[in-house]
Amino acid sequence: MSLLEVKELKQHFTIKKGFLGEKKIVKAVDGVSFKIEQGETLGIVGESGCGKSSLGRTILQLIKPTSGEIHFQGRDITHLSRKEMKDVRKEMQIVFQDPYASLNPRSTVRTILEDPLIIHGIKSRHKRMDIIEGIIDKIGIRKDQLDRYPHEFSGGQRQRIGIARALTLSPKLIIADEPVSALDVSVQSQVLNLMDALQKELNLSYIFISHDLSVVQHISDRVAVMYLGKIVEIADVDELYQNPLHPYTKALLSAVPLPDPAQKKERIILQGDLPSPVNPPSGCPFHTRCPQATPECKAEIPELREKSMDHWAACIHVQPGQKQSIRTSIS
Amino acid sequence: MLLELQNVCLELKRNHKYVKILDEVSFQVNQGETVGIVGESGCGKSMTALSIMRLLPEKAKLKGTIKLEDEDVTKFSKKALEKVRGNKLSMIFQDPLTSLNPLHTVGKQIEETLMLHTDLTKSQRKQRVVELLREVGLPRAEELVHEYPHQLSGGMRQRIMIAIAMACNPSLLICDEPTTALDVTVQAQILELMNSLKKMNEMGIIMITHDLGVVAEVCDRVIVMYAGKVVEQAGVKELFQNPKHPYTKGLIESIPKLGERKQILGSIPGTVPAPDKLPSGCKFADRCSYAMDTCRRKMPPMVHITNEHSASCWLLEEEEGEQFVTSGSKRIETTLHH
Repeated sequence: MSLLEVKELKQHFTIKKGFLGEKKIVKAVDGVSFKIEQGETLGIVGESGCGKSSLGRTILQLIKPTSGEIHFQGRDITHLSRKEMKDVRKEMQIVFQDPYASLNPRSTVRTILEDPLIIHGIKSRHKRMDIIEGIIDKIGIRKDQLDRYPHEFSGGQRQRIGIARALTLSPKLIIADEPVSALDVSVQSQVLNLMDALQKELNLSYIFISHDLSVVQHISDRVAVMYLGKIVEIADVDELYQNPLHPYTKALLSAVPLPDPAQKKERIILQGDLPSPVNPPSGCPFHTRCPQATPECKAEIPELREKSMDHWAACIHVQPGQKQSIRTSIS
Repeated sequence: MLLELQNVCLELKRNHKYVKILDEVSFQVNQGETVGIVGESGCGKSMTALSIMRLLPEKAKLKGTIKLEDEDVTKFSKKALEKVRGNKLSMIFQDPLTSLNPLHTVGKQIEETLMLHTDLTKSQRKQRVVELLREVGLPRAEELVHEYPHQLSGGMRQRIMIAIAMACNPSLLICDEPTTALDVTVQAQILELMNSLKKMNEMGIIMITHDLGVVAEVCDRVIVMYAGKVVEQAGVKELFQNPKHPYTKGLIESIPKLGERKQILGSIPGTVPAPDKLPSGCKFADRCSYAMDTCRRKMPPMVHITNEHSASCWLLEEEEGEQFVTSGSKRIETTLHH
């Protein structure tokens, strides 16, 4: 049994232009399916506006999904009541991107960490403090810093506090939405190392959402690439980075500037920007920017199919079992 | 030589007292060369750029010389500055949405620069604007002239910013994190554009960024800054292959590299100290794993390892006898001898 299984999940938002304007639908998440095992990290990458964050929030049901199913530890949690959901949330937590905006500036770190415990009914103050002290020890915040306010900490420390808050209820799954994007590289690596260590110690599962392909490669076991609300490719991390099948994944990987001036690589420069999710292109959503697009791509929406062992891609031009040449950049 | 900074010090007023933001910053930019400035946030990268542009708060104390084509920018009057900015000296900022005026059309904003600095007639200006939009790779240039910034995507807005900066063929272009707010695929487009513009116009570029990938991709030489000081500078290949300062090493080791899987990333403990709480001696000593007693007492001198490579660290001074030539313990400037 997988820890989390998402089936055909859809999250559509209706937007209305003006008072009498016509209704439009933004398909932020449009039929996404995947599984996560205990102790595994699934990386989700894509450009801004591809629906990565909406997906994270929909799984936690911070926004109710339009359709589809979410199974957590074998139980369908899609239609639970608020009260029932509260119990499930103990096991799934989220870490947000901006460590400045996601901590209450008027609460001390102690209050921030204690709140989830109070909400989930741990009545004894002693027990609460035991839990908190156990956690801050793991994340490298000192006991005497507990009564300080968030503004007294640096960005990296604040993100550690955000992670500690997610850990207080000993969850099984943490959804991390761009957890290191606001941090400097040196601090970013501290937080990534911490997340790695915590995962090993507590057997956590992560859904790691990021636009940074190098970071996702570092932390993930499997990676899903999203484009306009759909997963276009999903595979084991090494397989995906060494043998990308979908033209979008190839372009993304080739666009990353390598921190090594000696390595020159062939670059696929995509034309134009991400199309608006309000008015996505017909057929394959990527055909407007795809260097390999043919007229057939406009006609039908390609399904996510298994092209080789555990390597799924949504492109009609990728034949099953076909080994594509390895890009020069990724050796 | 296009630009030369010599012992530039900058003090800004914070909480009623002056705080040192830049400390004896010296470097050069040659024509047709891209020089990267890297460092964590709060290292003084942007303040260096703003000092060159003289876009500083009124009470700022700026010392040292900033020579742009043999004229000292620090001595310029307001009028002389207005003549240079947007003309010989241009700057692109990180966030294209906040740096464009939302109330004016794109065309008008590009034309403004031309109006201030050239003698072109109105129709010539209109023509030049369309040309510029084409040069920066924007489609349907004639229609775009009449559109407002909010109608464009992030990548397009940054192209407009580049068009404005390029309007008068500047000899020096300063880019402050030009691609940080953009997606990787769009970033690749913009970097390619900047490279081709550089080749076409023979201008010098200062590229401020925290992304070492971008540095490796577009820069010829790199300056590493820490706590308001230049701690290392070298050619781009040399810097990545043979970094000398522990801070540079730490930065390079802490980035996850595409195509390489490591169990644990290197990292630098702690954070950049606030400018009013700088330690005496080497500013990096508190975070440095090689720190010795000397480091906490005395500021290390700039050691020239080769003509093009210098770093300021006591470790290098120790090896001095064997490999390196320095001019004793007195601090020497980071000038490159060509």
